[in-house]
Amino acid sequence: MSKPITDESQIISVVIGFLYPFMLLLGFYVIINGHYTPGGGFQGGGILASVFIARYVVHPVEDISDTRLHAFERLFLALILVAPILLLFNGLIYRYPFLQVHYLTLMDILIGLQVGLGLAVVVDRFAFFKGVGPSWR
Amino acid sequence: MRVIVSAVFLALVCLGVIVLTTGHDEELDPLLYDYVSEHFYEDTSARNAVAAVLLNYRMYDTIFEALILLTAIVGMMQFLPGVEGDVGVDGEEPDHE
Repeated sequence: MSKPITDESQIISVVIGFLYPFMLLLGFYVIINGHYTPGGGFQGGGILASVFIARYVVHPVEDISDTRLHAFERLFLALILVAPILLLFNGLIYRYPFLQVHYLTLMDILIGLQVGLGLAVVVDRFAFFKGVGPSWR
Repeated sequence: MRVIVSAVFLALVCLGVIVLTTGHDEELDPLLYDYVSEHFYEDTSARNAVAAVLLNYRMYDTIFEALILLTAIVGMMQFLPGVEGDVGVDGEEPDHE
């Protein structure tokens, strides 16, 4: 690993540390209000993945396991498959209409977390790619 | 020669696609559009028609979109070796030649 690009830049680390909660807040706002306002799971997931980009800019050390993020992403994909089967496809939310809003919010949260974790895996892999290895000649 | 044949083939395919997509004069009734834009709130109780379509009317589309994202990430993890040494096909450590 070469020298971190922010060795001397105290400004960037302070400013991005100040911005972390606002990025998380905007991401979860876009995700949770997906059925009221424009936005939704995919867009909010993209905003959540920008947290990882900011973290890489400040502190370019690979201490998050890609494979673990990928495992969580697969878990959320499985939940995305399970939730409509349990709630939507058998007509449960039409028999109990109070479930509809909760179903929309649940699906937005699941999709947002899945997309955010997936894009985080992409960002980590490309950021720490070294260009050598058994499958890269 | 192969390049010329390929170029002609591609040009013919492009021309065919253009002819097929501009030559039709079929007029579809906007029934589904009218139905969704009028009934989406009482059907799905979403105040946003896009969310109603994505999460209720076209749920299969959303499921397979998420699946496509997972497929792209699996392919990327296969072809970009990580530093953890977990992607080697034959299981050996990458040597820096």
